[in-house]
Amino acid sequence: MEHTEHSIDPVKEQQEHIKRRAVLQAAIGVGVGLSVLSTLYVGVGFIPKVVVTPEKEPVKAGDVLVWAQGAKAGQDITPADLQAAQKSDPPFIIAYPKNPENNVVKNQSATNTIMVMQLEPSSLSPETAQHAAQGIVAYSAICKHLGCTISQWKNNEWHCPCHGGEYDPRQGAKVVAGPPPGPVPQLPIKLEGNRIVATAGFLFEPGADV
Amino acid sequence: MYKWLDERLDLQRLNNKLFRKAFPVHHTFFLGEITLFAFIVLVLTGIFLTLNYEPSIREITTPDGQKLPAAYASILYIDSLPFGAVLRSLHHWSAHIMIAAAFLHMIRIHLSGAYKKPRELNWLVGIGLLVLAIVTAFTGYALPFDNYAITATKIGYEIGAAAPWVGGLLVNILFAGEFSNTNTQMIPRLFSVHVLWLPLTLIALIGLHLLVMVKQKHTQPKYAERVSPGKVLGVPALPSQGVMAGILLLVYVAVTTLIAGIFLAHPVQAYGPPTANTPAVKPDWYFLWIYGILQMIPSSWKFELLGATFGPQFWGGILVPTLVILGAAAIPFIDTSRHKQRYLELPSQHPGRTSFVIAIVMFYIMATLAGYKIDLELPNALLWVLVLFVPILTGVVTYVVLRAFYGKTPEEPVGGLQGSAAND
Repeated sequence: MEHTEHSIDPVKEQQEHIKRRAVLQAAIGVGVGLSVLSTLYVGVGFIPKVVVTPEKEPVKAGDVLVWAQGAKAGQDITPADLQAAQKSDPPFIIAYPKNPENNVVKNQSATNTIMVMQLEPSSLSPETAQHAAQGIVAYSAICKHLGCTISQWKNNEWHCPCHGGEYDPRQGAKVVAGPPPGPVPQLPIKLEGNRIVATAGFLFEPGADV
Repeated sequence: MYKWLDERLDLQRLNNKLFRKAFPVHHTFFLGEITLFAFIVLVLTGIFLTLNYEPSIREITTPDGQKLPAAYASILYIDSLPFGAVLRSLHHWSAHIMIAAAFLHMIRIHLSGAYKKPRELNWLVGIGLLVLAIVTAFTGYALPFDNYAITATKIGYEIGAAAPWVGGLLVNILFAGEFSNTNTQMIPRLFSVHVLWLPLTLIALIGLHLLVMVKQKHTQPKYAERVSPGKVLGVPALPSQGVMAGILLLVYVAVTTLIAGIFLAHPVQAYGPPTANTPAVKPDWYFLWIYGILQMIPSSWKFELLGATFGPQFWGGILVPTLVILGAAAIPFIDTSRHKQRYLELPSQHPGRTSFVIAIVMFYIMATLAGYKIDLELPNALLWVLVLFVPILTGVVTYVVLRAFYGKTPEEPVGGLQGSAAND
């Protein structure tokens, strides 16, 4: 009797061995898994926090359009400026919105880049004219294709130098040539004395459509 | 001295085992070495640049009263140092040369069938190196923070963002948030990626590439089969091969420094600091083909699926390059051979493969031509014909000509002309 109690049963020993191995493997697996997961959490830091400063706020109703660049950077754009621009190349002005309450030019967000130009009022389509003032139209200047500033004027159309996208500012910035997937949004404006003032935000989302 | 070291390190054995290794000689074998030299020069000139570059966009006032972003101003400072402009230009040129030499090296491997078993692994590592080298060059592009570089990089950012589902997250990590002239975290992030993480990855992959090559032995040139069939023919790694490589390195450095000095690359002063405007930019030659395809794809090619947009940017910027890379990676698995590849094959004896390679090169040239669509006022329909049919036509003509001149030789199964040239 004693003899059988002390004898080693090879089958039982084998089973014990398998059980030990499974427990160890599970422990190692859980340990490695948890370590990897906790390391991944560090990766959250790769995505920076977005802080909205007054300079980064999107354009909204009441904002005044000011020169984005050049000698007059930061100054209000006047109808006289736009008439002078008509004879230059390009015949439009790149603008930023300025919050009249705190006088902050909202120039720290690329999607706030705006194109303003004066066109023949009769050439505008009815929808475009609705958001224009005396032929003055404003659009987001960020190309819907890959986010360049649409900064040129070619073949009597608004031309993006990056991949040849062309928009027609008379017809709601309809794409007339090239690869852009859609029009850029118009910015409804009105004239207040000598200033060009937004009456709302962009009609739809500005920026590259990707 | 030698004896002292030898007693401790057993240099004699190391010499016998490693440095006496026979390395075959052929002029096209230097393409890979030139790639390596370019990388060495990039690291050395890059170290010089980091010592004087300031990765920040904070506004500083220069001695002459200009207000400039610090990164841009530090490039002007580098240009004012003794040989500073030349070294920066050399860094820029070396990036071009590294990518070009790697590309030619790859074509040499393809034309001579050296990708076949057992070297499929190194073919894949090589493709990884080429892609990584291009990504590294791209991340360095924005660092001078001039208007041209910022515009060009912005396009790359939006192309990355066009990748379905993950694109937005990916570019947010690479560029530390939204791409903007005023994003203060962007330049430090790109700087770290460009000078630290990607070069370390490149060094590791280059090491692996060379290690696999040494382990598997370099392919033997065709003449070795005639001269001493079944034997390894070559010169010892040291001194003969080492001296050759050393001389080539010196010649390489001399020639590229001369070029870099005469043709100063990327004059940031001419472009000026970033503004709200977009200058008309053209990407570097290794992106020009993608740029061309982007201009050809009409705006109507767009649909949405499960919250992701598949627009023209996706087709031209993501899908086509991905297909090209996957197609290249698949080559050794399409063209399988039963024997272990020991000798290089002559392109003339493999007309199918050779004409395929030439068709691919033609595709690249035609897509690059499409990059000049606006300048040359080329109609879109013509470009589609050029990009799709000229490569196929070139391939067929090459095949016929090779067959006519070199006769019918035993053909091996190749992925040749059956595959669409545009997709592979």
